[in-house]
Amino acid sequence: MLTLLTLLPGVLLQAPARAGGDALAIRVKRAETVGQGPVEHALILVADGKIVAIGEDLPVERGIPVLDRPEWVATPGLVNAHTRAGGERGGGRAFEPHLLATPEIDPRNDVWEELLELGVTTLGYYPDGSGIPGQAVALRPHGKRVQDMLVAAPAYLKIHLQASASSKKALRDAFQKVDEYEEKVAKEREKWEKEQEKKKKSSKSSTKKEDEKKEEKKDEPKPEEKKGGALAQEEEKKDEKKDEKTSDVFVPPVPDEKVKPFLDLRRKALTALMSIRKAADYLHLLDVVEDEEDVQWNLQFPLGDDGDLYEVAQRIGEKKLLVVTAPEITLQTNSLRERNIPAELVRAGARLALTPRFDTVQGHKDWLPDVGRLIGQGLAREAALAAVTLEAARALGLEKELGSLEKDKRADIVFWSGDPFEPSSVVRAVMLGGEFVVEEKE
Amino acid sequence: MIGRARTLPFLALFALIAGSRITSQQEGGEGGSPPAAQEAEGAETRKDDEKDAKYFAIVGADVYTGTGAILRGATLLARNGKITEIGYDVVVPDGAEELEARGLRVYPGLIALGATSRVSTGVTAVERAGGGREWEQPEPEVEIRWDGLLPVPVPREDPSHVTGEDPPEPFQAEEEGEEKKSEIEDTFDPFNPFLVLALATGITTVQQSSAAVKLKRYEIDGVLLGDRHLASIPWDLGNPSGIKSTRDKFAKAAEYQRALRAWRERNDKDQKEPSKRGVDTTANRVLTGDALAHFRASRREELLGIARFAQEHGFRPVIEGCEEGWTVADELGRAGAYAILTPRHRMPKEERFVRAGGASIENAALLHRSGVQVAVRPDSTTIDMIGTAGRDLLALPVEAGFAVRGGLPDEAALAAMTIVPARVLGIDHRVGSLAPGKDCDAIVTDGDILHYQTFVQYAVVDGKLVYDKEKEIYFAHIRPRPKPPAPEAAAEEPMGEAELEKAGAGEKEEKEEGEEEDESSGEDEKKPDDGDE
Repeated sequence: MLTLLTLLPGVLLQAPARAGGDALAIRVKRAETVGQGPVEHALILVADGKIVAIGEDLPVERGIPVLDRPEWVATPGLVNAHTRAGGERGGGRAFEPHLLATPEIDPRNDVWEELLELGVTTLGYYPDGSGIPGQAVALRPHGKRVQDMLVAAPAYLKIHLQASASSKKALRDAFQKVDEYEEKVAKEREKWEKEQEKKKKSSKSSTKKEDEKKEEKKDEPKPEEKKGGALAQEEEKKDEKKDEKTSDVFVPPVPDEKVKPFLDLRRKALTALMSIRKAADYLHLLDVVEDEEDVQWNLQFPLGDDGDLYEVAQRIGEKKLLVVTAPEITLQTNSLRERNIPAELVRAGARLALTPRFDTVQGHKDWLPDVGRLIGQGLAREAALAAVTLEAARALGLEKELGSLEKDKRADIVFWSGDPFEPSSVVRAVMLGGEFVVEEKE
Repeated sequence: MIGRARTLPFLALFALIAGSRITSQQEGGEGGSPPAAQEAEGAETRKDDEKDAKYFAIVGADVYTGTGAILRGATLLARNGKITEIGYDVVVPDGAEELEARGLRVYPGLIALGATSRVSTGVTAVERAGGGREWEQPEPEVEIRWDGLLPVPVPREDPSHVTGEDPPEPFQAEEEGEEKKSEIEDTFDPFNPFLVLALATGITTVQQSSAAVKLKRYEIDGVLLGDRHLASIPWDLGNPSGIKSTRDKFAKAAEYQRALRAWRERNDKDQKEPSKRGVDTTANRVLTGDALAHFRASRREELLGIARFAQEHGFRPVIEGCEEGWTVADELGRAGAYAILTPRHRMPKEERFVRAGGASIENAALLHRSGVQVAVRPDSTTIDMIGTAGRDLLALPVEAGFAVRGGLPDEAALAAMTIVPARVLGIDHRVGSLAPGKDCDAIVTDGDILHYQTFVQYAVVDGKLVYDKEKEIYFAHIRPRPKPPAPEAAAEEPMGEAELEKAGAGEKEEKEEGEEEDESSGEDEKKPDDGDE
């Protein structure tokens, strides 16, 4: 806080200049920054679609318009990381990891506007179907074309895993295919290197002796390290330009489209969202993916009355996994004992992202009050706020761009009439990328 | 005559057990040697092992080993899930998890034959959406029932929907080299409430389809104990051609075995190995001892046929049902049969026959007396959520108790839920009795396991406490756990009257059973079988 305050005058001076005059300052009763806790009497300076500064009672430079709303509470725009709002349910058992959910999105659907009015600024739209139905995309519910709506594509690979031989086999086989592909690449590389050597020898005989000596020196690191090899390759390029142009850089074979997503998982270019239903599924999931150390994955499960996920809450917490679930109080199996599984997960050390209980517009209306109920039953308030903003953004891989009210983050801000978890609170205005897309209502 | 016929299979069995013992010792790196002896060996690698070793001890209980021996107030020590010692001066290492069980009894974990997948995966095949099995076949629409001498086809009412049980497994003609492995390792649900209920009954291992499954809790590793040890063979007098086909298959397999043996003995390189073509793999596996032949039969004629057929080919049949077994008990004993009984099953006698028939409460006792190894399974092997309680899997000890009512010795009734099913499933080298080298699957009860009032207080699987009555929601509120008797040093303190009475009653019981104790001092595997003359 202090650092922010001290830094601010400089920022304020620079900001208008950078923003080219379209900067806006909003003064509110409280800002729930999520990143740095609540800020009372906060001033949020927005320019260029981003948050430039946020702090308590910041002085505003002359010339910057100030929107004074001392009764409003500002939060980051809500993020629902796991939704099919506006889409249809359905889709059978599938293995289509290469498909994106994009074609399903219809910008003309009324649902986007309705969600936006409820303060939802980012959605993780997943492809439906059991098995491995495809890749989810992140979108903002505003825009006339699909391209305008897309924030990130893909956001994550959706994988259903359950305690069954066929389900586990599908995932195991997928990674095995990656192994096979990598083996193939290694073989081809070897073959290519041998060819290069042959060519070099033939070229050596034709070039001068001095050049040979140089080359020999540079060849030395080649078999040991790829980087060294790359250097040598560049050197070779020059020599071979005369003879052949086609094979001067190693081109790995193109992976099958169904293999590529899993290759991306291993290379950390993609994360997976593992959907499970019960505690046993979690153990079976670990049984399959525990050896895949490079693969980053988050967990998703619905919470029903027969959910027994409290059984593994401690283990999930120990792994510090990010869990996407719904704000539901469940009953312990064969009893009337209430379990607040989201709260248990947070206490155990897991990261928590919460979606609405029902994937409808009404569900989104009840979203924060439902989360409020969990808070009433033991969920930490900060964790609850993060669960509908920052952690949900993390599930989409967007935690660096949005999800909290911080400097340089996208200005997706919701202004509430009061505490957002209070059922009587309503959305007063929504700012999306620095623009008010839902106007002030009286 | 009877004696001679019986000793042979026992010798074979004994050899099998001895062999498996050795392997278990090799695997676990652990024999019956006490920890002290290990330290004396002193290899440094050993010491590293020792650091990670997890000890579990059940202290002060009356240990019913399930092999005939009863050790009063003894201690059972397990290391890394395997029993290392049972006795009186057992040194419990520091850091061992100790279970105080004075005044309680320890039994081997019970083994439930034919349990439905509800126990191991939480749902039955019928309940499972989309039907989890690829090989699912339509059930025959008619069933052959007996009306006097004539078989009468009766439309079958589908029992699976009524009872929630798995549909009966069809007899699979096995293709050569193609073995369908149990999928239980990929479907096991260690958190399902039915599993907890099974543990509360004392069941630590279940047979599920072809597999023997250990009811581990909180984990899924190592649940598959054994697979495909039972080969179901059709033998139904209502289907004579089926019997003929079984006979033919075995005859052909036997011929192949003879040819193979002759070829091996000649050891002639020029001669080809006899072809396996056309040889039924199931029959072959039974003849080589890789599998036990499993029949379902009730009637005297069928039982006799099976007994003679088994003797002809020299294998030990497993006969499920066996209601009229008591009428041909000596024949079945001579064949070295195993019988899987439901002692509460009722079946009328065919009045048009002069011969004895129908179900008898003495069935188990008479079969046992003739040397048949008796296993017990309840009427329904699922866990029912509707209907009448006390006949499903949770009534396994009660079912065995009914056999005791008919004259079966207590010891044999315990064996009928432990070591005999273990032998039937081919897992007796791991579970079924409490002996050094075996898995530490034990239950701790507050009384005789065969008594209807007895509760399982603790269940231990692989040396881990997996059930504690006081901590689970099911029976914690019924009758608090009996307090351990006051230690001898503090015995001067006046005891409450109720406690005195209890202690007295306990002693009486012990005296009654003490007679058996004298007979059976060793931890001898074959003990339950040579019980009565």
